[in-house]
Amino acid sequence: MTAPRLLLSLVASGLALPLATHAHHSPAMFDGSKQLTLTGTVREFQWTNPHSYIQLVVKPENGPAQEWSLEMGANVYLYNLGWRPSTVKAGDKLTVTVAPLRSGKPGGLLVEAQTADGKSLGGGKP
Amino acid sequence: MSIRQAIAARTALRVAAIVLLCTTPLAIRAQSLPDWNGIWIGEGLAAEISGFPGRNAPYKLLGNDAPWNEQGQARVQASRAVQSDKKANGWGFPLMMNSAAPLQFLITPRETLIINIYRDVRHVYTDGRKHPAEEDRWPTTWGDSVGRWEGETLVIDTVSVRKPDRYFFSNPPLSEQAHYVERLRMTGKDRIESVITIEDPLTLSKPWVVNLVYERAKGLDRLIHDDYDNDRSEVENGVFTIAPPKE
Repeated sequence: MTAPRLLLSLVASGLALPLATHAHHSPAMFDGSKQLTLTGTVREFQWTNPHSYIQLVVKPENGPAQEWSLEMGANVYLYNLGWRPSTVKAGDKLTVTVAPLRSGKPGGLLVEAQTADGKSLGGGKP
Repeated sequence: MSIRQAIAARTALRVAAIVLLCTTPLAIRAQSLPDWNGIWIGEGLAAEISGFPGRNAPYKLLGNDAPWNEQGQARVQASRAVQSDKKANGWGFPLMMNSAAPLQFLITPRETLIINIYRDVRHVYTDGRKHPAEEDRWPTTWGDSVGRWEGETLVIDTVSVRKPDRYFFSNPPLSEQAHYVERLRMTGKDRIESVITIEDPLTLSKPWVVNLVYERAKGLDRLIHDDYDNDRSEVENGVFTIAPPKE
């Protein structure tokens, strides 16, 4: 998909990732026209640079458990939003909204996250 | 010490002070410089948990609205055609001034440092010096900057910026002949406004004027630097993907 088509699809989906605004890599790897909702258990929270990651183990109704790699912003970006290294822990249950990888692999860009008790971790107010 | 000696000593001190005052450039005399303490982020550009700012983020220096001439337009198309598998280590100039990366303005009499979390650093010399002669300078990622204070406004003149999209692909593909003038002023305790005017005889048909705003970062009281200790972005079939975690 060319860059202009990607932008159009993202806007249409409501996700609207601005093109090329990371200082690390392009968002072209994520399909902004799709938003997946996943519920699973955190295996690991990587509080790192240039991106943080949540490794989320998702167990579908039919089929084996699958581990998703969910990319987030750099830890300093998260820090500015009130996140800390302990905000998410192994064993936490999360429901997340993800723009999936175009490659079809179990991974994507984490757009929103919610704890099991319904507390939103997205939008900058964990 | 006799009274005569005391008077002589005091006179000598006064003379020394006057000499120092007269020989110190006006720009670097102890003066009441603005205090822009704290950490700042471009208005509307603070990153969400995804690392991207929200929809319609005002990335004004990407060049979407720049008055590109024919060569400039060709450069834009060429630059954007090859972004999908590129990485960057920082924002570079000018985009570091219109980014999601928190900024600090460290003001001293002789220079102002502009620093972001990616360790992009600009030295803006305000001691009265001029740019080095053309034969003594070469293009760099952040260029050569000299500045002056006009009251509460910091005026920055920058030249010799290496082709900006070389360092970070999202930068506008200006030429190394581009000339940048910024006028920054604090307009509120939590707000700094800037006007940047860019002239480039090779890529622009007329001066490109961009108005920028910086706001205080809500959750940062210090600039935190870290290296890329966990870069899991790998190219696969020409496009990035997320590599498995290291165990």
